[in-house]
Amino acid sequence: MNDTVVHVDHLSKHFRILNRREGLGGAIRDLFSADYKTVRAVDDISFDIQAGEIVGYIGPNGAGKSTTIKMMTGVLKPSDGTLLVSGNEPYANRRRNAQTMGVVFGQRTQLWWDLPVIESFRILKEIYRVDDATYEKHLGMFNELVDLKALYSQPVRKLSLGQRMLCDITASFLHNPRIVFLDEPSIGLDVSVKSKIRSVIRELNRAQRTTIILTTHDLGDVEALCRRIIIIDKGKIIYDGPIGKVTALFGAYRTLKVQIHNYKEGTSDQLEAALGARFGGDAAIAVEHTETGWTDVTVNQDQVPLFDVLRFVMETLPIKDVRIVEISMENVVQQIYDGALK
Amino acid sequence: MKSYFALVRGSFMAIMMYRLSFFFTVIGNLLYIVLLYFLWSSIYRGVETIRGMSFNQAFVYVALAGSIFTMVKTWADWEISWHITSGSIIMDLVKPLDFQFYFLSQTVGFMAFNFIMIALPSALVLLLFFGADVEMGVGLLFLPAGLILAFLISFAIDYIIGLTSFYTESIWGISMTKEIITTLLSGALVPLQFFPDAAQRILRLLPFQAIYHIPLTMLTAPNLDVRACLGLLGTQVVWVVLLFLAGRLLFTRASRVLMVSGG
Ligand SMILES: Nc1ncnc2c1ncn2[C@@H]1O[C@H](COP(=O)(O)OP(=O)(O)O)[C@@H](O)[C@H]1O
Ligand SMILES: [Mg+2]
Repeated sequence: MNDTVVHVDHLSKHFRILNRREGLGGAIRDLFSADYKTVRAVDDISFDIQAGEIVGYIGPNGAGKSTTIKMMTGVLKPSDGTLLVSGNEPYANRRRNAQTMGVVFGQRTQLWWDLPVIESFRILKEIYRVDDATYEKHLGMFNELVDLKALYSQPVRKLSLGQRMLCDITASFLHNPRIVFLDEPSIGLDVSVKSKIRSVIRELNRAQRTTIILTTHDLGDVEALCRRIIIIDKGKIIYDGPIGKVTALFGAYRTLKVQIHNYKEGTSDQLEAALGARFGGDAAIAVEHTETGWTDVTVNQDQVPLFDVLRFVMETLPIKDVRIVEISMENVVQQIYDGALK
Repeated sequence: MKSYFALVRGSFMAIMMYRLSFFFTVIGNLLYIVLLYFLWSSIYRGVETIRGMSFNQAFVYVALAGSIFTMVKTWADWEISWHITSGSIIMDLVKPLDFQFYFLSQTVGFMAFNFIMIALPSALVLLLFFGADVEMGVGLLFLPAGLILAFLISFAIDYIIGLTSFYTESIWGISMTKEIITTLLSGALVPLQFFPDAAQRILRLLPFQAIYHIPLTMLTAPNLDVRACLGLLGTQVVWVVLLFLAGRLLFTRASRVLMVSGG
């Protein structure tokens, strides 16, 4: 049985944007300008997704994740290539296809701002022609998972970001869609809400075998939910495979963020050289100064103990502040380019 | 159909959330009627009729124009424009609904609320406390249809203006222009009869008078017969059809642009 829900073959989306000039004079000249440049937001990607999969579609900001989701939901037309969702071209018959999809965009809501949550659900029930039994069953399941009942009478605009997101995810599954697209559902949320959202997503996928495509730049989300991840950067897929390989590699990485007193050009290079001399000169430690004023020291804990590096840095330089964070998406991408997954 | 009705119901509930603003609209409307009363009394001081209209006719006309305003003002142009410029239009497009009827349904609730809570009470106040008289003729029978069609025309115009956001950064200019034209040239502020004959001939060719002047004619014109009323409704129907089709055409073109350029 062929159970492919999403078929993507050499898919591209190019935007033509005007090269804007500076100042008023530039703005006036722009009116008559034909100086366009092409942004390859999605650049020749291919993959298939089977029914019931949860796929993590990840990559740094501007990688092309949302653009891909927008094509799959029929809001954007591909520039090139083939895209089939449940066997149909999504943009060709927007209204019919919308019936079989659920969509959540992290920064937006599909709920009615001024209405109590439950009223939004009722409207969606009518819009998607969900029968009473299915509707009750779904809401019952959500109540068990996250106890939404307390929120039902609240107008959506009074909900916290996390509560709103839980309601939005609930809403996107109400009509029992074959596939649900979640675009950055955990953006800006704290850890406890994130874990609630993850458990809801996991349960929904399990209960109805709903296919889920989850976009995020948070590695934690995909670690908790997905067996397969697709990593995209600058419009191109740079990894598509089991998550195990990626977590095995990057689970060991931590980034030591330090704020150096009187930071000067070149301090980070000197630090990298010093660390190399002390702990061995391979790729286990990378130092990078960021625009935020923090200097990132990324360490592979399998090869070098993190606290030894921390002690060394504190002894070598005047440090004002220190934070330890999981490896960032940007860093993962850089490591993949450097051949880490080869 | 049921899905759109759910949206109507939702918008009716949504507007009820703003009780305070409703209160101020009612007060504002009553003050407006008082103001009109004194203004038009002074215009009619010492004269029986102006351009064939008695004081009572002119006053009822402009005062009820205020009630019609609260009903036909949809704000759909700003709403749609906001959805387009903020990008939240994506959430509208991923719903299995017709875009035009989706927005229409969401304004019908407002209209119904404003009709019941503001327009109707204002009209009653006018009749009971200001001694105003409406024409008790066949016009009244056609009035409900006339009002609904007026609302649809107003919505269709707002819908088109809202969609121009796909092409311009801001609809402020075009929306203000429409607002001014509708207020001045439709009978909303001054009865159409008060314009010079040549101007009237032109204004009667525009859709704006079909929003105010036509329903107000049904209320105030003496000796209207059924044929005349059908003619008035016919004019409105033609505008509804033309403007709705124009809106749909524009959406098809605009959404193609959106699908290609991402807005
Ligand atoms: N409508 C648009 N017009 C022009 N460029 C766009 C448009 N939408 C997205 N882009 C560009 O395409 C690239 C990918 O964007 P996006 O898909 O939103 O990335 P992500 O969701 O991964 O952060 C970015 O460089 C972005 O600036
Ligand atoms: Mg995005």
